[in-house]
Amino acid sequence: MSTDNGPSAEVLDGMEDFVAEVRAFLEAHATRLPVDDGAVEWGRGEDSIAYFPDDPPDVDERKVTAAREWQKTRYDNGFGWITGPAEYGGRALTSLHDMVYDGLEAEYDVPDTGVLSLIGLGMIGPTILTHGTPEIKRRHLPALYSGRSIACQLFSEPAAGSDLASLETKAVRDGDEWVLTGQKVWTSVARHAQLGMALTRTDPDKPKHRGITAFLVDMSAPGVDVRPLRQMSGGSEFNEVFLDDVRVPDDHRLGEVDGGWTVALTTLMNERASVGGEGAGPAGKAVSVGFLAALMREFGQADDAALRRRLGELHADQAATAYLNRQAVRRMRAGVQPGPEASVSKLMYGQNLTRGAHFAAEVLGPRLAADTGAWGAYSWNELLLATPALRILGGTEEIMKNILAERVLGLPKEPGIDTRTPFRELRRSHQGGTP
Amino acid sequence: MSETAGQSELDDLRGSVRDFLSAKSGEEQVRRVMESETGYDEAVWAQMADQLGLQQLVFPEEHGGYGFGFAELSVVLQEMGRALLPSPFLSSVVLAGSALLAADDAAAAAAHLPGIASGKTIATLAVAGESGSWDPTALPVVGTRADDGWRLGGTTWFVLDGATADLLLVAATTDAGPSLFAVSGTAAGLTRTALRTLDPTRRQARLDLDGVVGTPVGALGGAAPVLDRVLDLAMTALAAEQVGGARACLETSAAYARDRVQFGRPIGSFQAVKHKCADMLVRVQLADAAAQEAAEAAAGLPGRAPLAEAAAVAHAVCSESYLFTAAENIQVHGGIGFTWEHPAHLYFRRAKSSQLLFGGPAGYFGRVLDRAGV
Repeated sequence: MSTDNGPSAEVLDGMEDFVAEVRAFLEAHATRLPVDDGAVEWGRGEDSIAYFPDDPPDVDERKVTAAREWQKTRYDNGFGWITGPAEYGGRALTSLHDMVYDGLEAEYDVPDTGVLSLIGLGMIGPTILTHGTPEIKRRHLPALYSGRSIACQLFSEPAAGSDLASLETKAVRDGDEWVLTGQKVWTSVARHAQLGMALTRTDPDKPKHRGITAFLVDMSAPGVDVRPLRQMSGGSEFNEVFLDDVRVPDDHRLGEVDGGWTVALTTLMNERASVGGEGAGPAGKAVSVGFLAALMREFGQADDAALRRRLGELHADQAATAYLNRQAVRRMRAGVQPGPEASVSKLMYGQNLTRGAHFAAEVLGPRLAADTGAWGAYSWNELLLATPALRILGGTEEIMKNILAERVLGLPKEPGIDTRTPFRELRRSHQGGTP
Repeated sequence: MSETAGQSELDDLRGSVRDFLSAKSGEEQVRRVMESETGYDEAVWAQMADQLGLQQLVFPEEHGGYGFGFAELSVVLQEMGRALLPSPFLSSVVLAGSALLAADDAAAAAAHLPGIASGKTIATLAVAGESGSWDPTALPVVGTRADDGWRLGGTTWFVLDGATADLLLVAATTDAGPSLFAVSGTAAGLTRTALRTLDPTRRQARLDLDGVVGTPVGALGGAAPVLDRVLDLAMTALAAEQVGGARACLETSAAYARDRVQFGRPIGSFQAVKHKCADMLVRVQLADAAAQEAAEAAAGLPGRAPLAEAAAVAHAVCSESYLFTAAENIQVHGGIGFTWEHPAHLYFRRAKSSQLLFGGPAGYFGRVLDRAGV
């Protein structure tokens, strides 16, 4: 692909002062990476195509500490929260400035701050900003954006996946406090988090969307139990979080009592679109046409007509997805409201990685099924075993398609009784998720 | 011109072309014209030039054009694809026009482009043999020097609008290498045979040349880079047409899924149908992005992928996406979609036929890899 991840010249246009400031900051605090010319040097570097990190606890801990420290450095220099309001530690600039900063920072060797940014800064911070009281904002926003506090999202439950509004974790009022009991699941970064945003059922006699309340939970409070959840790829990126009579003060409530669905929608809307995501990281590089062609050469199949045909199909879709992403950025810059590009991009991102992994498997044959020790062979399993998740997380493919068809094409919703009936009377999966 | 200003002008252009085509080339007219002998409506063709200036759009002013680029042309082609307009626009304006511009031959351009731009001359480009390949080293026509000029001999196939065009640009092998020649549609020794076609809205012909007089266009032996450039632009143009057709299929399906009631519900409320429509939307958006990238690359806008890459990608993605949406459109409609009266088959025919132009899937996937350096 002839694309890079840096900001294009036109995005930088008119931002010379900001660019100079960012450059000066990065030069002072980080080392510039060598320019990536896309050339593949087979056999060089770490033999890993990790999608979900699977580090031993000490390495994991070190990475989280490095992430917090880098976020603090950003924050102390005015880049911790570029779009946020000044009174809570933000810089009050536009999302375009944010994009420019990200593009420039990608040229430098800096710690990956995903543990803070994907959930806490990208989704929960904006939710607190929209729905928090001034006291909540003062207490939590500077802490989040300076790297002191990591936040996680206590949303999904064993019996509430795609149908998030059918969640069952109970919150019962007790004077100035609420008592929370229930189980959350698929919680990223919970092990490192100081703060959790929990959705709870406060009135089961109302229809499901109208009896939900949102709280900020202190993850170190008594009764909060975080247990790693081992996923099919082997690592434990996610967790289960058990809440057992966890007491939460009423001033930690986000939004109105029974008004939590509105709060949740804010969080979900801020779920960062994966626009521009492909091409980044070891997985994106591995499925690039250059790398897959090198794989074919390395394993003696450069001229296999059937494989070449499949590679052509894959690369055409990858390139078109990259065009779609770049055009979305251009439109955003021109102030045009985003269309369905983000959802299309997410679906294509998952499909392209999945097809890339299966393509590699066909090239490798038995070398994928059993480790021969060859560089760049058995390590494809890391990506292959992660790909089923790409069709599930952040909204399953099926839910994404419902949203596209209903919101873009205006197709009618599935008729149902579940939005009118009191939650208590709805048929639900058994608690604990067993059928 | 800033991008936003450009966008509103493009929207205006789209609106006027759509209005024109829905008035002049609705389904009824398309069906009438596709049964006619020439396969296009001469009155509508003339109005396209005289009222909207569509044929003039991309040609330089010195040749009677308006000097716009592929960004504008792409919008026009999308609307033509959407309306299934039967016309020699792709062959005359895109294939022949691009060949004359790419050949860098001032005399030939001056002789032919004003006619093409005004719509008075209909031209086309003849390259392929019976395999359909555009390989310049395997051209089916041979050009030989005679005392009084050049003579062409051989049989060329799948010439778009070849039976009706006034001017034929014929690629031929010569002792100097692959070369381009201008041939009159009424030349002695030329036999033109209209072929039966899968897509009744786009005509194809076989040309048998037996000692036909041809005038060289561009440098003798210099046709290979010209054909390569023309192919990039032709793929870019075709991709725009394909996106227009694919979007029409998507919109028709979505409208039908909203209205058609079975089992007491609109069928679009069933996920089996809803997800089909969402899949179509995804492919259309992807095709649209690819076609747009290629058009903007052809227009020379900065920051786009190289034309050679984007054109091949667009041709591949738009061909696959159009065929997918045209087939799914029939499925969403069920039995009614399989009738002759329903337009779904016309889109299916156009989609399959377009996919097979310029070398077909083997050609475009090969070109995609070639342009990626693999």
